[in-house]
Amino acid sequence: MNDKEIIVCRCEEVTLSELQQTADTYSCSARELKLRTRAGMGFCGGRTCSTMIEVLAHNEREKTLKFQAPIRPIHFGKLGGEIS
Amino acid sequence: MYDIIVIGAGPAGLAAASTAALEGLHVLVLDEYIKPGGRLLGQLYEEADGNWWNGIDESAKLYDQAIHAGVEILLQTAVHDMERHESSWFIYTEDVVFSSKQLLLATGAAESPLPIPGWTLPGVMSVGAAQVMTNVHRVKPGDRGIIIGVNVLSAAIAMELHLAGIDIAAMALPPLNRITTKHARPKEVVEALLHASYLAPSRLLRIGSKFMTNPFMRQLGITFYPKNGVTMWGVPIQLRKAVIEIYGTNQVEGVIVSTIDKDGNPIYGSEENIACDFVCIDGGLYPLTELAELAGCPFYYVNELGGYVPLHNEKMETPIEGLYVAGNITGIEGAKVAISQGIVAGYSMAIRSGKQGLADKLQDALNTVHDTRRQAAIQFHPKIELGRDIIQKQWEKYQSRLVQI
Repeated sequence: MNDKEIIVCRCEEVTLSELQQTADTYSCSARELKLRTRAGMGFCGGRTCSTMIEVLAHNEREKTLKFQAPIRPIHFGKLGGEIS
Repeated sequence: MYDIIVIGAGPAGLAAASTAALEGLHVLVLDEYIKPGGRLLGQLYEEADGNWWNGIDESAKLYDQAIHAGVEILLQTAVHDMERHESSWFIYTEDVVFSSKQLLLATGAAESPLPIPGWTLPGVMSVGAAQVMTNVHRVKPGDRGIIIGVNVLSAAIAMELHLAGIDIAAMALPPLNRITTKHARPKEVVEALLHASYLAPSRLLRIGSKFMTNPFMRQLGITFYPKNGVTMWGVPIQLRKAVIEIYGTNQVEGVIVSTIDKDGNPIYGSEENIACDFVCIDGGLYPLTELAELAGCPFYYVNELGGYVPLHNEKMETPIEGLYVAGNITGIEGAKVAISQGIVAGYSMAIRSGKQGLADKLQDALNTVHDTRRQAAIQFHPKIELGRDIIQKQWEKYQSRLVQI
C-alpha cells in the first residue's frame, strides 16, 4: 500500500498524496487546503483529521482552520425547527 | 442565571468550580461524558515515591469536593454553541440554554490520529480510547494488541493494559511520512524518551533508559539498539521497527512491521507479519479549543504547548471579557498542573465577581502552579516552561497593542 491509498479524511475519502500534492502546488494555508480538497468538510466536521491537515499546510502561526457551530452533532429539530 | 458556568468536568474544571463555589458563587459544570473526571479517569501510574496515582479515585475526590462546595454538575450534556449577549454568556446544549456572567472553558485535550495504511479498519483506536475502555469501562479492547507510537504516554498505557491482563504483542513506531515525522524517527523518539526518563511514570522505564544519558551514548543506543527491542512488562518495545501497514478484511487481523534505519526509513526485505486483533495509535494530544474559537478568542501556535492555544495570561484570563481557560486547553500537561490552574481560574473569577480579600489566595495558587509543574511526574513536552513564557509574552504584546490603539 502506498501514499495514494492512505486516507487522511475518512468522511470525504481524501488521501495523503492528494493533500501533499495540493499543499505543494499551492503552498496553501490549512483552510485553503480544506477548501481545495474537501478534507475536514465531512459529517464529523473535521474533528478527526483537522490536526493532520494543519501539519501538512505550510507552518502557520495563525489558526486558519476554524470550527463553526454546532460543534457537536444535534438534531435539526432541536436547533429550532418545529414539526407540526 | 449562574455566576459561573464551567465547561468540562475534568481536573481543571472541577477544581475551579469548587474554588469559586467556596467563595460563595453559584456555579454550574457541564460535561459531555457519562462520568466526571475527564482524561484523569484513565490514569494509573506509579509515582517517584512508590505510591500509585489512580485517576478514578482522584476524580471521585474532585467530584465530591465540588458537590460539597455546592456546585451543580450536569453530565452527558454536550455544548454545541455559545454566544455573548449584553454581558452574559449563553450556552447551548441539546435541550436547555444556560446563561452565566462568567465562563470557564476547561475542555481539555484530544488525540491526533496518524495516517498509517489501514488505520481506518475497525479495531484501530487511539491509545486513549484503549485506556478508557480498559480502566474506566473494564472492557478489554481485544486479546492481543499492537501499540504504534513510543513515548511516555503510550508506555504508561501499555503498562496499564498489561496490568489488565491484555497481551501487547509489541510497541513500534509509525511509518515515516510527512505527518508522522516526529513520531517516526528513532533518534527523535529516543531524545524525547531520554528527557522523560528521570520523570518517567515507572521506575522500570527509568532504569531502562538510564544507559543512554549522554549524547554519545544516545547515538550508540540507537545504532546498537537491539533489533528485537527491549522488553518491559513483557511488552517488546521496538524503536528500530515501524508498522508499515495494518491489514485485515473486515477488521484488524494483524500488522506488517519493517526494520528501519536510524532516520526512520524502512529496510526492504525485513518485513514480517504480527497477528493481533486491535491496534492503538498514539499521535499525541492537542488542546481542544472549538469553543474558544466560537468565542472569537485569538490563537497562537506554540509547539511546546501541543498546538494552537487560546491567548491567555497566568491568571487564566483571555482577552474576551468574562472568558477564562484552564487545564489542557491552555497546553498539554498533567492532571496535577490542571488542578492547580483550575484553582487559579476559580480565584480569578471570584475576584472578578467582586469578592474581596482574595489577592493572597490567588498569589499562592499561582505559586502552586509553578511548583506543581516543576515536580510533575509526566511532562508531555520537555520545554513546557518555554511554551508558557511564549504565550505570556504574546499576552503582553497583545495588551500593549490595545493600549496603542
